Amino acid sequence: MADRPAPVAGETMAELVADAPCGIVVTDPQGKLLYLNGTLRRWLDLSEEKGAETGARGDEPTRLAELLTLPGKLFYETHIAPMMRLQGHAREISCMLEVRGGPPLPVLLSGVARRDDQGELARFDYTIFDARERRIYEDELRTARRKADELAAIVRSSPNAILRVCANGEISSWNDGAARMLGLTAEAALGRDVESVIALAGHPGWFDEARRICQTEEEAVFEAEAAADTAGTPDTPPRPARHVEATIVPIVDKADKTRPPCYSVVLRDITDRKRAEQRLKMAFAEMQHRVKNTLAVITSIARQSLPEASRKAFIDRLHALSRAHDVLSDEARKQADLRDVLALTVEEAGGPARLRVSGPSLTLPAHQATSLSMAFHELLTNALKYGALSVPEGHVEVRYEREVPGGPVRLVWHEKGGPPVTPPEQTGFGSRMITSVLRADLAARVTFDYAPDGLRCEFDFVPDKVTEPLAP
Amino acid sequence: MILERNNVTVSGAQGAPALVFVHGFGCDQSMWHQVTPAFAESWKIVTYDLTGMGKSDLTAYDPERYADLDAHAADLADILSALDLRGAVLVGHSIGATIALRAADLAQERVARTVLVSPSPCFMNDPETGYHGGFSKDELAGLLAFLDENHLGWSAQMAPTITGQPAGEPAAEDLTQSFCRTDPEIASHFGRVTFLGDFRETYATATRPALILHCNEDALVPMAVAEWMQSNTPGAALEVLEATGHCPHMTVPDKVIAAMSRHLERPDGG
Repeated sequence: MADRPAPVAGETMAELVADAPCGIVVTDPQGKLLYLNGTLRRWLDLSEEKGAETGARGDEPTRLAELLTLPGKLFYETHIAPMMRLQGHAREISCMLEVRGGPPLPVLLSGVARRDDQGELARFDYTIFDARERRIYEDELRTARRKADELAAIVRSSPNAILRVCANGEISSWNDGAARMLGLTAEAALGRDVESVIALAGHPGWFDEARRICQTEEEAVFEAEAAADTAGTPDTPPRPARHVEATIVPIVDKADKTRPPCYSVVLRDITDRKRAEQRLKMAFAEMQHRVKNTLAVITSIARQSLPEASRKAFIDRLHALSRAHDVLSDEARKQADLRDVLALTVEEAGGPARLRVSGPSLTLPAHQATSLSMAFHELLTNALKYGALSVPEGHVEVRYEREVPGGPVRLVWHEKGGPPVTPPEQTGFGSRMITSVLRADLAARVTFDYAPDGLRCEFDFVPDKVTEPLAP
Repeated sequence: MILERNNVTVSGAQGAPALVFVHGFGCDQSMWHQVTPAFAESWKIVTYDLTGMGKSDLTAYDPERYADLDAHAADLADILSALDLRGAVLVGHSIGATIALRAADLAQERVARTVLVSPSPCFMNDPETGYHGGFSKDELAGLLAFLDENHLGWSAQMAPTITGQPAGEPAAEDLTQSFCRTDPEIASHFGRVTFLGDFRETYATATRPALILHCNEDALVPMAVAEWMQSNTPGAALEVLEATGHCPHMTVPDKVIAAMSRHLERPDGG
């Protein structure tokens, strides 16, 4: 012992205990207070009176339980006191000190039971740590966990299949929706390569493809029939194929953006929507067929009942309508290229030498294509009768261009080399029809310039966005 | 099987009438270990853990089923029947005493009498009937908030670190506190049932004679409650122990044993 450094002097020891960075309490085995250190007295706002003998004054607490708020009191009586006896200690019990004239102080209480030489319980020593910061942290943790639980509940109860796929294609999470939709439990799916588990018809290597798409786009979307590989899970009953919309979105690690991302893969069952679309498509084909028949019937009636003078013009107009429908009904299209629409007009005009078209490929929705087709027919009829195409040396130039993608298109119909033009004294049916139809369907600005050397007609319009064609 | 599910332990004199011990909120059957040896010679000793506590099957604790004491009482009645006990004495502590009273009512043919250690029919004051349970509604509402935050007892989120441990304790000791530790959610739920319930009716309709042991310095149960029980529980005898705290069977087991022995030897005690 003599070799050791001098022990801390008694006075220092006393100071150490009184001003320790934690509260220190000693009670008898019945919980009666024997000692409170200075730190704890300050926390409790008790007078700094010295002396081991507490309980001398009327407002002094006499029992440990009295230092605690009600839940702590109950817990002391029902848990802490029994524990101190049964196991000789209690550890890190979260409770609150009742502070006079202040808010309760969250603390952690630990205790040890001391026995005398005969092995009888002599006293209980407790240390009490200020847990305010820890409590704040725990509250934050609890809030974060509740939010995470809420999100998890949303994912769990979603009818969609929601999975998380690691950068290497391994499935790391598989919700109940996925199990229901694909007939495969999480156990059977987790840890496997996503492409080997989920096949999307017509998209072999869909996950690699999605990864490629996600390098430039925010998400990759596929619509396809999905099937899960249920081999090795013999209890799985056969399931009808589901049509799904698969959306793949990268989950970027915010802390380390250079890491290859994981992916969220959501499969939405669109089987019902697909069936509805199929029915719509059939109804559409039927409509096309009936429109053609109706036009044929009207043509036939016109041929038999109209006077010779007006018959041809009327029937030609019907033909133009019918041809526009042909263009659109090919493959049940809902769209047409302006070039194809003009190709019909070129044919009627007598070939590309007579009607010279220049312009880019430009997709138009069905209703706009039909209206333009009607307008071209009117212009062509006029040109053949009175304009540039009424003489062998005349021709028509049709130019159109679009300066910015998604911007307006300017189309010019310019007749050249025809007989001198005189402005009509009153607006004819043709120009009225062109103006009204193009305004209604294309919101076009239409100008007619009856220049002496040739008619010049200009349309300015913005093509409507073409919706996706119906899948076959 | 209920005997495994509730960790039922049978010891003492086989063939003798049984003393069945029911622990209260907070701990498990180990609370009784200072009392049971005194009776082991002339009684069969049965101890068990309430469903959800101690080493019972925690998965059997369905909060909806255990939202009242009925399911706990039914469990006890099942144990009596599984062991085919007759003339048993049920000894319950605190809320366990109320469970014992209910079970005695459910299985009257198997129970001779009850011993209620620090019982309380209701911890909440009821100004309308002048009942003084010890705690106001507001105080217990604070308890509810505390239970909701799950702060009661251990901070479950944190791995506890060892503090205030004597140097001799093995450092690698299992950090879970083996005694009185239970699932925090179950503790919270059972705490509600215990401290917010009003079981005065159970006491007022008791069908078996009861011995009530009350500590004169019980921090949870005021003297007024003991007096209420004495005058409202049919066939009840009250003994007041000179003791501090809510667990006399742990702090002053000798006094509890003496009081029980006096009572159980009474010829009318059955």
